[in-house]
Amino acid sequence: MEIRFYATLRPIVGGRSVALDDPPPTVGELLDRLCGDHDGLRDRVLDEHGQIRQFVAVIVDGRDVRHLEGLQSRLRPDSEIDIFPPVAGGR
Amino acid sequence: MALGGFANRVARINLSDRTVAYEELDQDDARKYIGARGLGVKFLLDNGPETDPASPDNMLALVNGPLTGTDVTMSGRLAFVTKSPLTGTVTDSHMGGWSAARLRWAGFDALLVTGKADSPVYLHVEAGQVEIRDASGVWGKGIHDTVDHFGAGKGNSTDTSVMAIGQAGENGVLFASFLNEDDRAAGRGGTGAVAGMKNLKAVVVKGTRAGRYRPEDREKFRAAQGKHLQLIMESPVTAPSSVNDDGSLKEGSGGLSAFGTNVLMNAVNSIGGLGTKNSQETQFDGANAVSGETIRDDFLVAEPTCHACPVACKKEVEITDGDYKGLKMESFEYEPAWSLGANCGNDDPAVVAKVIDQCNDYGMDAIEIGNAISMYMEASERGYVDTPLDWGDGAGMVRVAEELAHRSSPIGNVLADGTVKAAETWGHPEIAMAVKGQAIPAYDPRAIKGEGLGYATSNRGACHLRGYTPASELLGIPVKTDPLDWDGKGPLLKIFQDLHAFSDSLDLCKFSAFAVGAPEYAALYESVVGLPMTEEDVMTAGERVYNLERYYNNRAGFGGEHDSLPSRFLEEPGSGPAEGHVCELDQMKAQYYEARGWDDGVVPEAKLRELQIVG
Repeated sequence: MEIRFYATLRPIVGGRSVALDDPPPTVGELLDRLCGDHDGLRDRVLDEHGQIRQFVAVIVDGRDVRHLEGLQSRLRPDSEIDIFPPVAGGR
Repeated sequence: MALGGFANRVARINLSDRTVAYEELDQDDARKYIGARGLGVKFLLDNGPETDPASPDNMLALVNGPLTGTDVTMSGRLAFVTKSPLTGTVTDSHMGGWSAARLRWAGFDALLVTGKADSPVYLHVEAGQVEIRDASGVWGKGIHDTVDHFGAGKGNSTDTSVMAIGQAGENGVLFASFLNEDDRAAGRGGTGAVAGMKNLKAVVVKGTRAGRYRPEDREKFRAAQGKHLQLIMESPVTAPSSVNDDGSLKEGSGGLSAFGTNVLMNAVNSIGGLGTKNSQETQFDGANAVSGETIRDDFLVAEPTCHACPVACKKEVEITDGDYKGLKMESFEYEPAWSLGANCGNDDPAVVAKVIDQCNDYGMDAIEIGNAISMYMEASERGYVDTPLDWGDGAGMVRVAEELAHRSSPIGNVLADGTVKAAETWGHPEIAMAVKGQAIPAYDPRAIKGEGLGYATSNRGACHLRGYTPASELLGIPVKTDPLDWDGKGPLLKIFQDLHAFSDSLDLCKFSAFAVGAPEYAALYESVVGLPMTEEDVMTAGERVYNLERYYNNRAGFGGEHDSLPSRFLEEPGSGPAEGHVCELDQMKAQYYEARGWDDGVVPEAKLRELQIVG
């Protein structure tokens, strides 16, 4: 599984994406593993209660997990994952 | 008592008889319509909604708000308001930079231009006076040369600002723009075309910070501005960016500050909301190549900013290789990166940069031209035109932009009248992705449905900035809503439209809304203008401005049937994550009109009275 990162998260994981050979079955477990592997990522993605931070977008197959099952959202081995810090613009 | 913040001085410039008359600001209008956008629309309404936009009688109003040029963070914006030759609606388009502040420092709330000069002219504005001067020496020049001619430097390195049109405005391209400082545009609606029709080349303003307004109640102002600034500095979106010694971004840098507006490219693409190949698809494989991340990594050379803004979302880039090597330009924004990128099937950032720079020099709306070229490419693919242009043909895009600005080829001449007229000329109106004659921005209505409603009901034609629902649908401000769900988007859009109508009237940069909201706007208004203002008052004033615009448009012949979308978004499903989705416009419109209290897109008399638009 390839997990793609964007904007200010890229320097933290050291590149545009991270590959996992044995991805976990849920978004929560995935984030837990990624945060364990990359210093500084937990504070940027998860809050003090272990929930996804406000304005951070975790996208699974094109859907923000806030509109799926949140941290309990199920993953498939071929799921496409995109993780964004707070981003906005307009012009 | 005169209202705080305002210069209380308006210049009426008649170019036909070359006269300038000065008057005080109408205090009642200033109270009701706040300033900038709201006051500008009131000036236009008083000038007559039936006016032919191409006639000398049309008014081009440059209007400041009460916060303009003060020390309020993000207060560097100016509204250009006119009747659009592209849409036939009232339109307002705002530019950043330093011109707005200098106009206020030079002693004006508004310049109201009517008539038509018998030869090219420019306006020289200084110390409360306006002079009409000969511009024959710069007629025919691009904006970059015009800015140089008048000796305007960048940013605050000078006391002079130049707002100018380029060849596109002179040649009557209906989506011609006004720009200042080479790259900051009042981009939409054809304000530059109106200037060209008046033989008005530029407005040159001299003013220094010494002329800025200082609120009388310093303590109240410091408290309001302090809170406003604090929230902007702490927002994960707008917090200023900075770099470590190795060039990497420091922790805490906001996404908008670090990458500019184009930080949205990958985010919108990831949910299948990026119109591709004239919106025939909604996801683009080449998005990352023209994204804000790539631009920062590979092309960034400077990060200039506007008056009183620590966010510095502008990104100056330099192309270091290929046909456009050496090109330095600004405004590699999300919108043109989409319109000239995904929408044209083009993943070459150098081509995007080149055409944006052409737009900045010739003075054209980069959203509009990207849609015009992508529509031409679709027409080519379908065999509707004799001289085809392939998807992603970068050299061809640059050539068409040149021809369009100068109306120097049959294709350029047709496209210069906008997508709707060009598509009608070819007998295929269905391929024009436009609302009320203005082309769509970079959020596909099938994947971000609130924006679809926003495009349809915008008073100036398709526009993302009238009611920026992606703040909710993508980011979660003030609450996260599902971009694929249509239910509830009517009332949600109304809130955004009213809030933005207020901030556009202050005139504060809309990006402030990622960090602050109605309470902070109210506090700033109170502290500068000196009138009481509550959060509820903010929303009511914004609603009044939105209804004033709608009232103007109703009188100009627009009704609910014009609040529409191209059939593609209603009938042809999107792709990728938006597969199977169309935009449920009718359902959203019904909710929206109910929230607005409108009768099929028309403001009823009772609503006009309720909002004190009519007596």
